[in-house]
Parts: sequence; C-alpha cells; structure tokens
Amino acid sequence: MEAQSGSFFARNEFLIRRLHSLTGLVPVGAFMCVHLITNSSTLGGAEMFQKNVDLIHSLGPALPAVEWAFIFLPLIFHAVVGVWIIRSGESNYFTYNYVSNFRWWMQRVTAWIALFFILYHVFHMHGWFHTEWWLKNVANENTGGHLFKPEHATSSAAIALASPFKKLLYVVGVTACVFHLANGLWTLGITWGIWTSPAAQRRANYLCAAFGVGLLAVGLGSIVGVSKTNVAEAEAFENAQLETKAAAAKRAAELLKKESAKAVTPTATATKK
Amino acid sequence: MIQAASHDAPSSHDHAPPPATFTVRVLRQDAPDQPSYWEKHTIVRENDMNVISVLQRMAAQAETADGNPVTPVAWDCNCLEEVCGACTMLINGRTRQACSALVDKLLVDNPEGIELRPMSKFPVLRDLMVSRARLFRALQKAKAWIPVDGYYDLGSGPKQSPADQEVAYPLSECMSCGCCLEACPQYTKIELTKRDGETDAEFKARETSAYDGAFIGAHAISQVMLFNTHPTGKMNAGERLDALTAEGGIQVCGNAQNCVAVCPKHIPLTTSIARAGRATTLHSLKKFFDL
Repeated sequence: MEAQSGSFFARNEFLIRRLHSLTGLVPVGAFMCVHLITNSSTLGGAEMFQKNVDLIHSLGPALPAVEWAFIFLPLIFHAVVGVWIIRSGESNYFTYNYVSNFRWWMQRVTAWIALFFILYHVFHMHGWFHTEWWLKNVANENTGGHLFKPEHATSSAAIALASPFKKLLYVVGVTACVFHLANGLWTLGITWGIWTSPAAQRRANYLCAAFGVGLLAVGLGSIVGVSKTNVAEAEAFENAQLETKAAAAKRAAELLKKESAKAVTPTATATKK
Repeated sequence: MIQAASHDAPSSHDHAPPPATFTVRVLRQDAPDQPSYWEKHTIVRENDMNVISVLQRMAAQAETADGNPVTPVAWDCNCLEEVCGACTMLINGRTRQACSALVDKLLVDNPEGIELRPMSKFPVLRDLMVSRARLFRALQKAKAWIPVDGYYDLGSGPKQSPADQEVAYPLSECMSCGCCLEACPQYTKIELTKRDGETDAEFKARETSAYDGAFIGAHAISQVMLFNTHPTGKMNAGERLDALTAEGGIQVCGNAQNCVAVCPKHIPLTTSIARAGRATTLHSLKKFFDL
C-alpha cells in the first residue's frame, strides 16, 4: 500500500464504520429495546411502571456514569458518524426504484428523524444535564425540559405527553427509530458477513421485519400506556409510596437512635471497671 | 417504411403499431470543460434497430430535427454483443449498454422517443464518451489479478474444486462496464481539472489519490472475491483484503443493492459484498490480535 496519508478519519475509515455498525446494535439498539419494554409496562399501571423505574434508579449515584458510558456517548458517536455517512451518499431512488434502494433512502430519512426526535426527547424527559445551574436556567418547566420525575414516574410521563401534538411526535419518532433499528439490523448482517447469499438475506429479512413489527408494537404500546394513565390515580399511588418510604426512613432513624443509646451504656460501664 | 412497420408489428403487444419515426434526445458536450446541451434528432424506424444503429443513423444524417447541420455524436463501442461494456450509457435515464438496448422495446416502454445521456458518475470526454479511469484504478488498487510472473517455472498450481468453479465463473463474467457504479448511491462523481502549471504526472497522481480515497465500487469488491476464491490467487488474499479495508473500501457500501439489480451480466454482486464483509471482518480480527 501507499504511504499512510489523509486525515485520522480517512486512515481509520474501516474501523470507524464498523464501530458505527456495532454501536447501532449494542449498546444503542439494545438500550432502545430495554427502554421501550420498560416503558410499555405503563400498560400494567402506575405500580408496575414505578417498580421498573425504581429498579433502574436503584443504581443511584452510578446512574449518570452508566447513562453516559452506555447510552449517550455511544449514541453521540453513532449520530456524528451517521451524519457523515449520510452526507457521503446521494439517493437515486427515483431512477432506480427498487425496494432495497428505497430502504437505503429510508434508513437515512429515519436517521434524521431519529436524531432530532432523540435530541428533543432526551431534553423533554431527562433534561440532557443534571447540574443545578442547567436545571434552574435551561431545562425547566418553562422550556418544557426535564419533565420526567423518577419518583413520580407514571404521572410525570403522562403530564409530559398530555398534548396530542406531543403524542403524534412520539409516534413518528418511535416508528422512525424502530425502522432504523430493524433495517439496520439487516444491513449489519450483510456488513459483517453473517448473511451472504440472497436466500439467506431474504430469510434474515423476515426475521428483522418480525423483530421490527414486534418492537413497534411495544413502542406504540408504551405511548398508549402513558396516554391511558389516570394522572390523579397515579399521583396518589406515587405519593402513598413516597409516604411509606419516608415513614420507613423515619422509623429507621428512630431504631438507630435506640440502638446507639443502648450501645453507649455497656461501654460506659466497661470503662468504669 | 410505414408498410414495413405495420407488417412487422410485434405480435405480443398488438395495441399500437411501432411509429414510422421517433425522436432521440441526446445530451451532448463538446469537451470535458464545456457545458452540456440537449439536441433533438428524428430517426426513421427500421426493423431490429438498437441504440448503436440509431447513433449510426444520426451520424449519417448529420443534422438535428430542426435541420441544423451538426457533427456526429461521439460514443464508445466495441463488441456489439454486450461483453465489452464500452457502450454503457444512460438510456431513458437508466444505465445499460447501447448495443443490447433494442429500439422497438424502448418505444413500447416510452412511445415519445429515446433519451440518451452519458453516464453521470464519470467525467465526460465528449458527448456519450466518458473516462472510466476510476473504475480501472479500483481494479489496480484491489490487485485484481494473480501474480504468476517470475524467473523460473513455478509448475502447475493447485486444482480448483468444481464447487469453487461454480462460485467463480459468474464473477469472471464482469466486463467492467460500470453499471453497478452508475446505480450506486454511495458512488459519487469525481471530476478533477488540471491546475495551472501542473504537469501531467502531477495531475495523474492527484487524480489517483482522489480516486483511492473514494468508494472502490461493487465491481472491484466482486473481483477481490473472484481472485481470493482462486487456489493460486488465494496466496495473496490478504493484500486484496487490505485494499478493501483501506480508505474508500468495502465499508462505504450502504447496502442499497442497486448494483446487483442493474448488472447486465447478473453477477451476484451483493453476495460478493457480503462475503467480502465476512472476509474483511476475519482479516481485521486476525491482524489486530496477530492470530
């Protein structure tokens, strides 16, 4: 080969493109499946969804690190490289109107929809950053950011998605993301050389389509679950749970106080001797 | 002529007899740095015409539909039986060979006439002639040959199994026409112009480096699989896979699969691409972990 030249990106194009393909599957795609399945538990009512959210938030102080390492950073990498990839090609669907060419084009269209939807969705629910200054000045009630409250999971989600416009936006966004993952799964199999012959690619295509339809049902189910939420009921349950927790914490403090009071006496006598 | 037309009207579609004359719109360009322009020609229909014979009639008439005298349209052709790839152009917007594009069939699909354009992914030299240098440079980059030259007789090579022959034969039918590249949404045009004071060698080097940085194309990926399947060619498989993982390599493929749909030789290009995807995956892992 000739002397290595060109930009870092050019020299490592193969590796970067393969990492782009891989991050689409894990962790980004895998996270999306977990995310949609978790959210579809809103169909089971406020208690079930709250339990799942509490489980995720039981990571406590580690949660932001997990979020950034396994969700945000891989997602940003996938998006940045993806935008570069989109800019490198030109659709010719209107000249060569084959199904696979249409899917090539749709993969790029859904990529743009997913990019803007996810940027908005993360701001809308999560707020992007959780520093005090940011939450006070940027992501707040007025700007419509950081609306999801983990301790009021179901009711805050239902309030955030109350407007029909928001619901429509989420339906479009989730559909685009699911198509992008299912179709991307199929092309990933070709890229890495898992399915090579036309027959194998056709069979893989059925599997990817079935996966996509299933995940879409789960995704849209989440939106239905949130929409069906009775906010007052959900809030009542969440408040009751918080009260139970607060009561438990208070009782724990009392017990601790008693224990330490008991513990003081024997030591005191011991020192006297 | 009208009598002949009605007599020879194709029986399979008897709704409309072929027209006595038809219009040909050609996108012409006098030189690489000149603007392109449309020109209209009226051609009298004859039996069994293909686009090559249409271009020959246009050269003989030497005038446009309006009666203006014009130079003949320049085009490339060679074998006239769809095995050389030289006469590839855009006929009614789609990439194909002029020799195998039959006029009567084209007029059934599009009774208004025929539209001819040069391929859009390669620099135009003149009219319908393009420079496919990038296509051939890709074959060079991929080392799409088997090196057997030497100072002494190497003896006979290993035998190729019939199963491998079955895989290899269709791939060997590639005629380097460029249809797969023309239809590929990831293969975008590169056209450089010589700078002031630049020598031919300097320009050529700049052009080669621009070609090498851009997508290598389905044809070259398929040729790598052809030579990597060959028992002797296999000995240099790694070098060819290195070319496929370099800048502009197989990773640029976006799986639109237009290449296989437009290939006039029906070469299983997407199978080659997926096989090359697997081979480059294993090759990179082997290199990275020094296996």
